[in-house]
Amino acid sequence: MKRIESADESRKLLDKITFDLTRSIVKKDELTYFWFFILIMFVGVGLWGWGIQINDGLGVTGMRDYVSWGMYIANFVFFVAISLIGFLLSSALHLLKIHWAKPISRVAEQVAIAGVALAGLIIVMDMGRPERLLNVFLHGRFASPIIWDVTVVTTYLTISVLLFYIPLIPDLALLRDRLGDEVPKWKITLYTILALGWKGNPMQYKTVYHAMRVLMLLIIPVGLSIHTVTSWLFAATLRSGWDTTILGPYFVAGAFVAGSAAVIMLMYAYRVRYGLKDYFEDIHFDYMGKLLVFVCLVYLYFNVNEFLVPGYKMKSAEGVHLKNLFAGSFSVMFWVVQVFGLILPLVLLLIKYFRKPLPITIISFFVLISSWFKRYLIVVPTMEHPFLPVQNVPENFHTYVPTSIEIMITLFSFFAALTIISVLAKLFPVITIWEYAEDKGIDKKYLSEKPRN
Amino acid sequence: MNNKINLLIAVILFISASQIRGQEWIAPADKASVSNPSEYNLANVKKGKEIYQKNCKSCHGDAGKYNALPLVPVPPDVASEIMHSNTEGGLFHKITAGKGGMPQFETTLSEDDRWRLVNYIMNYNPNVEPVLVEAPPVKAKIMASVNEVNKQVEVFAEFDNNGTFEKLADAEVIVSAKKTFGNLVIGKALTDENGRALFTIPESHIGDEEGYVKLVVALGEGYEVAALDLKSAKVGKLKEIPKLIKGGEILWSTNENIQPWLLFSYLGAVGGAWLAIGYIIFLIFRIRKYSKL
Ligand code: HEC
Repeated sequence: MKRIESADESRKLLDKITFDLTRSIVKKDELTYFWFFILIMFVGVGLWGWGIQINDGLGVTGMRDYVSWGMYIANFVFFVAISLIGFLLSSALHLLKIHWAKPISRVAEQVAIAGVALAGLIIVMDMGRPERLLNVFLHGRFASPIIWDVTVVTTYLTISVLLFYIPLIPDLALLRDRLGDEVPKWKITLYTILALGWKGNPMQYKTVYHAMRVLMLLIIPVGLSIHTVTSWLFAATLRSGWDTTILGPYFVAGAFVAGSAAVIMLMYAYRVRYGLKDYFEDIHFDYMGKLLVFVCLVYLYFNVNEFLVPGYKMKSAEGVHLKNLFAGSFSVMFWVVQVFGLILPLVLLLIKYFRKPLPITIISFFVLISSWFKRYLIVVPTMEHPFLPVQNVPENFHTYVPTSIEIMITLFSFFAALTIISVLAKLFPVITIWEYAEDKGIDKKYLSEKPRN
Repeated sequence: MNNKINLLIAVILFISASQIRGQEWIAPADKASVSNPSEYNLANVKKGKEIYQKNCKSCHGDAGKYNALPLVPVPPDVASEIMHSNTEGGLFHKITAGKGGMPQFETTLSEDDRWRLVNYIMNYNPNVEPVLVEAPPVKAKIMASVNEVNKQVEVFAEFDNNGTFEKLADAEVIVSAKKTFGNLVIGKALTDENGRALFTIPESHIGDEEGYVKLVVALGEGYEVAALDLKSAKVGKLKEIPKLIKGGEILWSTNENIQPWLLFSYLGAVGGAWLAIGYIIFLIFRIRKYSKL
């Protein structure tokens, strides 16, 4: 790492970095208001839909006796999945001393927080009697994967918030000291409180480093557990399509695919919107593209295992399920998801051109949408094929079609996640200033200097 | 031009044909014209009724009560117009072949029995003189006691003969056990001339873990009397508790039965994670303290 010796040069560079990286906080134009208006509108409509559902019961959804897990659970799995990228990018790669991932770790943490917070909320929204939520904790069975899931989601959310916060403390002090009239007073007050009176002395830095290290180590088992336990919600049953031993790693691999795509899209949005071309550089997109190729390959490997092995044997119930996926009523969705969400991105991203910011963002969009539908394919077709024949029930119990209320609430979750991310981006820098400055060779002592003007 | 008209006619025919298919079920003419080889008499209709109660009632309901199961399409009532728009041969064919929700009975009922069913249905045909007339139900009374040693139920039945209760002879007594989801019929007995029936609970009948059975005694059809719930009596075999649940060898269980290693792993993992989180919170306070240095 190069060091900048000259004090003047250091100060100038730090000023520039601070100016660039606080643009997201300071910038306020029509587009900002419009964006928040859209977000709040959709969130409002979704909450209204939830109100209807609470009032009239789960009968307003398309879920019936046989398909009792529908779009909500698929959506839940999707959000747990994208949240997992936090642990890959901001912890695993850090600990492996993979340098390029550093500026991206904030973005990954934002996705993680939004994803896991929404995952928790979606489960509550899938409950017929959400006011009885507390009973899960009071009367839960310790042997039930559902309890494990509730515990691990809360734990992961807490750790993600801490991992977002701790590295931010020096930055909060910087913002407290350097931002003036361009931001409202309450923001300064917020920074002052959260900065914990940061002075930037060596003991404080040492504690921050230590805390980050503990968190990064802690998040690895917890991160792995969160999605493995989510997979056990399925794998611990005897249902065809779920009753498989590789569901845990299969989910984790799929989660990295979805999460990487989400992070790439967010990076691109920040790069364009906040003029961060020099921070989210082409090389970062290139590396993220390679990472995506790698996780796609792992996921492809699991997919082959997941479908080829039972497909070879075609045991009766499993056979019905697989036929339905490969050539039956879900086949279009299945093949579109496999081709556009996995195989095509994998092939395209091997070519350098497609790892440039815009092409890779477009590819990521398809990957992300496909991975949502992939979760739908994991949940719904299995539910439609119970072992005992479906009989003596009305026609609409046989197949599951989500209702408009379910779609409303699902849209809500997307916009609520975007709201969380937008608020985080509006409040805090999207790259940690002090870490970035240090990487550029600026000595820590300049960080705690009061600005000259 | 001609082609178009042909096509139009074909389409119309197709649509009307599919409409008919969707609405009613028509037996092929050669089957519908078969005549009933069995005689329409009380014995055959009674036998037909018995077969009907066993095989058909669960879906079609009681004759004339229109209480069929709400399937799509709804199984028509035995006394309904739809049923009696069939010829006898048609009924026989439909019972034999089945369609959609209606099972086939070709392999499960003999040809004779199927014709008896037709006789039973014909009993409700408006153009046929009924041979089996169900009289209005008679008011009755039952008393019962259980002998735990002999595993016997003794039942006395009386009927209301214009205000005075008299001994009810030759009446069917049904003994059942009350289960969580309804009554399980154990057996039947007939009352003698004293209105008394004695029923022995079969050795094989399973009670609860201590052998208790909640017996219910009722009279067969034709009598108006509420079923009599008896006190739990020790007349059944002991119910065995499946070993799996008793021993706690399974993972999926209640908190009382939980495997210790599972509980400790769970609490250990969660406790460990939250201890670490607590440590981080402590560090946050430390950072705050260090700013006073
Ligand atoms: C599993 C339920 C079920 C059982 C058991 C059943 N049925 Fe049916 N039955 C139906 C249904 C449903 C239909 C209507 C079928 C249709 O119209 O497509 C039907 C139709 C019929 C019809 C034809 C009525 C018409 O449309 O002309 C006859 C006759 C009949 N059942 C007789 C019987 C007899 C006799 C038995 C007993 C041996 C029996 N069914 C047992 C469900 C049942």
